[in-house]
Amino acid sequence: MQTGTKISAIAHVTLVGWAFLGGAFRSEPLPFDVQDVSVISSEEFAALSAPVQTPEVAQQPDALQQPETPEVEVAVPEAPQPESEPEQQQPEPVVEPTPEPLPEPVVEVPDPQVSEDTAVLVQPDPEPAIDLNPPGKRPKPRPVERVAPQPVALPPPDAQPDEVETPPVVAEEGAEEPQPEQEQTAPEEATDQIVTEAEESDELAPLRSPRPPARRPSRPTQTAEQSTPQPASPSGVQDALAEALAGSQEDIPLGPPLTGGEKDGLRLAMSRCWNVGALSSEALQTTVIVAFSMQRDGKPDAGSIRMLDSSGGSASSAQQAYQAARRAIIRCGAKGYDLPAEKYGQWRDIEVTFNPERMRIK
Amino acid sequence: MMKFLVSLFLGLSLMVTVAHAQNQPLRIEITEGVIEPLPFAVPNFVPDSGAASELADDLARVVAADLSGTGLFREIPASAYISQVTGFDDPIKFADWKAINAQALVTGAVNVSGNRVTVRFRVWDVFSDKEMEPGMQFSGTRDGWRRMAHKVADAVYSRITGEGGYFDSRVVYVSESGPKNQRRKRLAIMDYDGHNVQYLTDSSAIVLAPRFSPTGDRVLYTSYESGFPRIHVLDVGQVQRRVLESAEGTMSFAPRFSPDGQTVVYSLSQGGNTDLYTMNIASGQAQRLTSTPSIETAPSYSPDGQQIVFESDRSGTPQLYVMSASGGEAKRISFGQGRYGTPVWSPRGDLIAFTKQNKGRFHIGVMRTDGSEERLLTASFLDEGPSWSPNGRVIMFTRETRGENGRSSLYTVDISGRNLRPVRTPDGGSDPAWSPLQK
Repeated sequence: MQTGTKISAIAHVTLVGWAFLGGAFRSEPLPFDVQDVSVISSEEFAALSAPVQTPEVAQQPDALQQPETPEVEVAVPEAPQPESEPEQQQPEPVVEPTPEPLPEPVVEVPDPQVSEDTAVLVQPDPEPAIDLNPPGKRPKPRPVERVAPQPVALPPPDAQPDEVETPPVVAEEGAEEPQPEQEQTAPEEATDQIVTEAEESDELAPLRSPRPPARRPSRPTQTAEQSTPQPASPSGVQDALAEALAGSQEDIPLGPPLTGGEKDGLRLAMSRCWNVGALSSEALQTTVIVAFSMQRDGKPDAGSIRMLDSSGGSASSAQQAYQAARRAIIRCGAKGYDLPAEKYGQWRDIEVTFNPERMRIK
Repeated sequence: MMKFLVSLFLGLSLMVTVAHAQNQPLRIEITEGVIEPLPFAVPNFVPDSGAASELADDLARVVAADLSGTGLFREIPASAYISQVTGFDDPIKFADWKAINAQALVTGAVNVSGNRVTVRFRVWDVFSDKEMEPGMQFSGTRDGWRRMAHKVADAVYSRITGEGGYFDSRVVYVSESGPKNQRRKRLAIMDYDGHNVQYLTDSSAIVLAPRFSPTGDRVLYTSYESGFPRIHVLDVGQVQRRVLESAEGTMSFAPRFSPDGQTVVYSLSQGGNTDLYTMNIASGQAQRLTSTPSIETAPSYSPDGQQIVFESDRSGTPQLYVMSASGGEAKRISFGQGRYGTPVWSPRGDLIAFTKQNKGRFHIGVMRTDGSEERLLTASFLDEGPSWSPNGRVIMFTRETRGENGRSSLYTVDISGRNLRPVRTPDGGSDPAWSPLQK
């Protein structure tokens, strides 16, 4: 055995021994870590754990921005001019036993003077106009449905409800004996008859019920309570805590990764609706990567579908290939893909590569 | 201390791995889909007045027929409609069209004012709930309503497939009537779908192989009017013709325009030998391209005008060759079994269509310009004379049936080999040549 080999063997044995046994001969104390913590009060914690406040919005909503009239950018070819009347050409005489009829001259099809004018096409309203303002008076709050022998008027604003009406007593300056302060009380509002919703006057009900908008308004209306400015978070630690609390509320089950069979099932389901029959030859050369999010019920979120990347074709062909992929995702996901709900976190976000290599014309 | 650091490192790595896995989207790849016609709906166009009612229906039917005839689309019958389109600007009830699986929807309106017709249309992507590009309108005379319908169909086809259409085009062909031994032939021109047939010549002389100019206003053809084959140039609009100059005792045939329309390439037979020539139409100056003892014929330019594909039997059997448009050495591109002929370069420039005879059957096929990826699209007793549609997606050719009473007729086939269908003509037809899209 070579000397070098011996030295190498001894060194390796020493190294392996040190790695396994080195720690046993150490007597150093376990490390003692100190972590900085911030002490927050219960009010601060309550403020952090409270729901996220509605963002501050203006009192008056901005005027709705009307969509611009789409400008049709279409190449306008010149309208073909009407061609002159064709001249009839006599065929050269042909010696035949039975004379052939004269050839019909080509009567040029009257060019329809087809012009590709840019159509001023008014886009139809996607939804009927919504009148957010009720046409009638705003309905008053319904009275308390409580029948009492004697109707009692509304108590003063500051009075506490009580069976016995008590006048307010305040300390009078200069009095010989100071009187104990006493809060004003009054009986609860009561009425002696029940007025149902059907018996209410027409003025209270709106004449029509406005249809809610299809989407949540981007700038929600602000209530008086919500307009109260909330104290800003005193520190970044509280922001982090609030973010962590908010994040924990989603409660998305991660579960183990999808099995091969589950992935194949999803792949097969989408491929059934991936129709490349109407794609151009160039689009059949284009591979697109499409990303989208899934809802918990296995239905794709159509608004989240987007093309991440494309290769092998022009931008136009990529767009055609993307549209075919998009239709496949939506069509076959209309009833929800069969995916395990306990693994929602694994398939919430999906990226699909649509590669038409095997579908090309060969 | 070391153990702690190792433990910390491993813990952090595990956390990073878990977090990474949680944030990673699920990735899958799909390599196989389905090839089937795309379902679409074309409700009858909305007439602006009672006078436009019939025309509105006819326009919508022609648009639907154009799209369905490609084999790429399948029309959903009106009986399946859940909702109707009663106003051109009415909002579309996409849910109703999704329910019947209509993936594209074409809506339109027609206005008639005197002899003036205006057609407006929109194409909707039903599953995206939006319009495919802005709407358009065409205006024309009442007589040209079919052309307007073809133009609408071209626009719809282009928006859905991403490539140009071919519906607003015409075909010149040889109309044939009578039995095989007494067949009468004359030039005819028609819309691509067989409508509006008109005749350009009488049947006093045999005519062969008409070819459109790149602008579609002239036609080259070969006529035996003088007893020998001669090349004629015919102005389609004026029905005026003239003979291209050629020497006495020669035969010229198989002409085809260059992409710029200034030059004609053709075969000239002299002294028992056939070679390729070009001729400037304006000056009449000819140039010889090949000089071999074999037969060279059926030349066709590449779309850029730089190359010519032709048929030659210099190797013993007819095969396909490619050479420079100015002549020179030719390169053989067909090496399969059988005989190859009548090559035609695709308008896209990527394929060459040809006729092949092998084992007693004729085929229409396509191959790459280098001869690779040969695919046979048809097979019958006699198929020949392919011609490309303006968008290079469809091939029209001649099919002749067996027997003394065999009939020649025109067929089309998609370059995928699907959607083989006949073209309706009043009589028999052969030697079709597809025009470019009309302006």
